[in-house]
Amino acid sequence: MPLKYLLHPGFIALYVALDAASFIHPLHGLNITPWSPAPALGLVYLLRQGPIARVGLVAAVLLGEYLVRGMPFPWWKSLGSALILAAGYLVLSEFLKRRLPLTSLLDDRAALLAWMVPVVLGTLINSVLYLTSLHLLGLLPANGWLTGVLQFWVGDAVGITIAMPLFWWLTGERGRFALRSVLLRGETLMYSLLGLVALGIAFGLGGDSGFKLFYILFLPIVWASARQGMAGAIVSATLLQLGVIAAVQMLDFSAVTIAELQMLGVVMALVGFFIGGVVDEQRRTSGELRQTLRLAAAGEMAGALAHELNQPLTALGAYASAYDTLQARGETGVRLDAAINGMRAEAQRAGDVVKRLRDFFRTGATKLESVALRQLIDSSAEPYRLKARQGGIQFIESEVPDIMLLADRLQLEVVLRNLFSNAFDAVAAADTTGKLVSVQAVPLPGARVLICVEDSGCGLSREEAERAFESFHSSKSSGLGLGLVISRAIAETHGGSLWCEVADHGVFKLVLPTQETRTS
Amino acid sequence: MTDNLTVFIVDDDLSVRDALSLLLAIHDYRVAAFADADSFLKAFKPAWRGCVLLDIRMPGMDGLTLQRKLLELGSDLPVVVMTGHGDVDSARTAFRALALDFLEKPLDESRLLNAIGEAFARQRKAADAALTRDQVQRLLDGLTPREKEVMERVVAGRHNREIAAELAISPRTVEVHKARMMDKLGVLSVADLVRLSLS
Repeated sequence: MPLKYLLHPGFIALYVALDAASFIHPLHGLNITPWSPAPALGLVYLLRQGPIARVGLVAAVLLGEYLVRGMPFPWWKSLGSALILAAGYLVLSEFLKRRLPLTSLLDDRAALLAWMVPVVLGTLINSVLYLTSLHLLGLLPANGWLTGVLQFWVGDAVGITIAMPLFWWLTGERGRFALRSVLLRGETLMYSLLGLVALGIAFGLGGDSGFKLFYILFLPIVWASARQGMAGAIVSATLLQLGVIAAVQMLDFSAVTIAELQMLGVVMALVGFFIGGVVDEQRRTSGELRQTLRLAAAGEMAGALAHELNQPLTALGAYASAYDTLQARGETGVRLDAAINGMRAEAQRAGDVVKRLRDFFRTGATKLESVALRQLIDSSAEPYRLKARQGGIQFIESEVPDIMLLADRLQLEVVLRNLFSNAFDAVAAADTTGKLVSVQAVPLPGARVLICVEDSGCGLSREEAERAFESFHSSKSSGLGLGLVISRAIAETHGGSLWCEVADHGVFKLVLPTQETRTS
Repeated sequence: MTDNLTVFIVDDDLSVRDALSLLLAIHDYRVAAFADADSFLKAFKPAWRGCVLLDIRMPGMDGLTLQRKLLELGSDLPVVVMTGHGDVDSARTAFRALALDFLEKPLDESRLLNAIGEAFARQRKAADAALTRDQVQRLLDGLTPREKEVMERVVAGRHNREIAAELAISPRTVEVHKARMMDKLGVLSVADLVRLSLS
């Protein structure tokens, strides 16, 4: 594996490159800059690679000192201060290692806090130790200690806070995947542009008068993290950080102003991370809830189908017993044939039930795809057209508007078939003339569509309408009364709803979200 | 079967009706099948003998309601309840309404045949008992009013002398009536007479 051998030199090269790139506005020509992302890379490297990385980190810090700052002091002083700095990062990484699982994506509040607090406090302690050592080595002017500590702390804390999640995500499979999918979205480009505009406004219009319009910069980061979670927060925080650094370089701000700007940057990044974390947490919870609903629906479906298996199995058993008896008597002829044909037919019927169960579980993981509403209604209504002709029932299918749904086709077919089946049963039960079942779809405002299935049956009373969606409440002999329960669970999994209206005839309404119109 | 006993199947599932009809016919039972409770009730006659094989869950009237209706109509047809999803509640309801058995679907052949066999045995026994009752009644109808009065008192445990006093006749006449009465009823002892009067 050549990559394996390239990893450590690659890290050292990248570390030194970052060190060089961020060696701007150094205080007293020392390694005290308002922006230092290199330690973030160093920490991720230490956390991911284990003990061997310690050697790499020390080498990288020393090499950076030599190449970037060119050893401005006696070699042993530079070496000593660099070693103290490296030791600080090693201790911080050991501390983080205990609190941060390797699989964590820092995308919930607990993990964010567990990471944030050691970083802020650790960099402060490191800054005090480093600056004190510089002071003792006589590399620092006597009155420069406090400013130096603050500047160094801000630079390190900001660098680590903003860059470490990015490096952390980039060095993990899941993180890379999430970042890639975020970067491929058009929305990312949009908020990046907004970020540019915000930078222009903050620095162009408000720059002279004390950077008054800084809060504009919050807009893109809040947008990104609210919509894309932690991934969006990382992308937008990184872009804004680069933008701020580029702007201060171009506008030639003083180091102190830059440090103040960096404080702002870290606050913006943290706001973004926490919003992103909350958004991700909420998404995960809602996903888990859907899964639970789906399992409940599958469980109820299984129960209902198990019951439906009972009838064919009862018949099958009786035919088999009949066959046994005839066989024992040596009887052949019509009755033996009847038993065997009956067994065959009932086995087929039981097989159909099992097939339906399999169909349901095949969709176990909701498979969302673009489905044309027209096609969906058409295929669900298909079996009922023949039934309508045979039963003398008028089946009216109104023209379906050209609407796309993002849905699991099979599951929604289960819902619609169930509604049709109920409607046809209701019509068959009512002894009225002019038997009628109708279906129509109406677009609603807010990217939703209403599908209404009506029948000329006797409708549901208020009490019946309330009970219709309860488990095991059925007015029919076949099934356990789960059809509507499952249908409602499926509708809700799709972000829609299903209910029946109290009326003098049957009215069931299904509302589903439609797919946002694509720009193709 | 010579004694006109029939298994009445009430189940909404065509295949189940068909399969059970075939199976029972092979075991030489007369079978009549109904798709729902209403059509069974419409056709029902009090003279029917045999047993009812009843599914609980059916469209319209359910099996347990039909069972209660039959009881209200004074039917003594034994009822065997079948169900695919038996629970304690429905079993309790069925047995309180004097169900003979409670079978779960898919049915166990031997249990089904045992239940039907037991039901038919009960029906035959009841028919035998009814037959004896008829005969006794006919014998009693052949007694004179005086003989009946004497019989009631003998059964009640009175002595001839007491009976004579009560009826204001001589003990000798009581003896004559008593001998004639026992002769007509075909009993040899007072104990036999008591037993017969109790049936």
